[in-house]
Amino acid sequence: MIVPTVVPEFTVSIFIPALYVGLITGFIGLLGISFQKNDLSALILTDIVGVAMLVIVAAVGTDLAEALILPGLVVELAEIMAISEILMSREMRKTGNNASIFPLPFAMDMEIFSTAPNFLALILIAYGVFLTGFTGGAVAGGGILFYVIARRSRGLPIKVWEGIAGISGVAWCIWLAGFLIFFIAPELWLLGLFMSSCGILIKVASKMGLIGIMAREDLKRE
Amino acid sequence: MDISTLGGQILGQIPLGDIVLYLTPFNLFMFAGALIFTALIAMSRTETQIEAEFGSLKDNEVKVGLEEFKIRRFLAIVCGLATAGAMITGDLFNFTLFVALIGIVNIGIVSAVKQIDVLNAAFQYGLIAMIASLPLFGGAALVLASTGTLSLLQLSTLASTTPMMYFASLLLLMGIAGETGVAPFYATKAEMFRTPGSPFILIIHLSSLLVIVRAIEILLIINKPF
Repeated sequence: MIVPTVVPEFTVSIFIPALYVGLITGFIGLLGISFQKNDLSALILTDIVGVAMLVIVAAVGTDLAEALILPGLVVELAEIMAISEILMSREMRKTGNNASIFPLPFAMDMEIFSTAPNFLALILIAYGVFLTGFTGGAVAGGGILFYVIARRSRGLPIKVWEGIAGISGVAWCIWLAGFLIFFIAPELWLLGLFMSSCGILIKVASKMGLIGIMAREDLKRE
Repeated sequence: MDISTLGGQILGQIPLGDIVLYLTPFNLFMFAGALIFTALIAMSRTETQIEAEFGSLKDNEVKVGLEEFKIRRFLAIVCGLATAGAMITGDLFNFTLFVALIGIVNIGIVSAVKQIDVLNAAFQYGLIAMIASLPLFGGAALVLASTGTLSLLQLSTLASTTPMMYFASLLLLMGIAGETGVAPFYATKAEMFRTPGSPFILIIHLSSLLVIVRAIEILLIINKPF
């Protein structure tokens, strides 16, 4: 028997319906593409087929399947970005106009940016460090993002900016080394676990902080 | 079907945790072939296309600029390495990921060209590749669901094949055909080869051929028809 006995019968019985949902969703997406003559709509409809792929992978529902969802999602995003880039460059070549992919600066005037209390950022960062891992990095990065966008302390020197980007890269390497330890020396799993969790924490947090700095610089630019 | 019947004597295994690579002469030959071709591409320069102009006696030269040449060479090397990885891997999901990477990189190689026809073909091929990721990943996930493993070594030791595994390998075949753009989907890809820059375009062909050969081995390992 493949499925362990601790898994409830209901969970096992839901696999086939979830599989059908995925296949039918994909089929509906394909029908939509076949009716559609507009290229942009076809591209957006293709994304529905990609989501149906995620449904099928998620239907398996084991921890290995969870590890398969993330690469599937990344592949999906990379493909849709590559294709939309091709669509844009083709349209630009047809019409002769140039356009950037991010039409910045955009005006974002919200009162909450100037009135929100500082300690929210502190709480988020502390909670993120406590969580560690990807989730913790996202939470701590959200805190940095909040601080950077809400507090209008301008003029972060370009050197600091590049330094943060460098730290992010080094943390990424620590994460990879931690994963390598899992594969080549499984008895050192605790070291590998800590290296990868702290590495991804610093990496995600600093990346989101960088996004915040870039967004703020763009917000200020009129 | 037995691994040693398909690929010859098993020369060794590289255990990396639960991902176990196995080395057979068949795998090693294709791995080395992909690496040698990648090295040749990394050293080569692009061709320059000469087209006769209509209505005059002049020639039209289509050259590849230095910037575009560098991007294309990088993507062609990535494509070659992904092909080599797909040849040697012993894990079904790693194989599908390498195939998906080949699909993305193939679009990238032609994405910087200036001909509208080629961009149109790349767009159509990209749509097919993206649609094909549903059967590709779905097939791998169904193999995992019906057997509980993704390792090819363990799949080859299974005693029987369930109908779900037949369905999964059918999906897998559809996904690989769409992602690499072979026979039923070739029409979307054919126009892409009209762009200048010959050796980098060739890796698109080579990768799809090698991946199909390896995919047949994997499907035979899963299904054991004989």
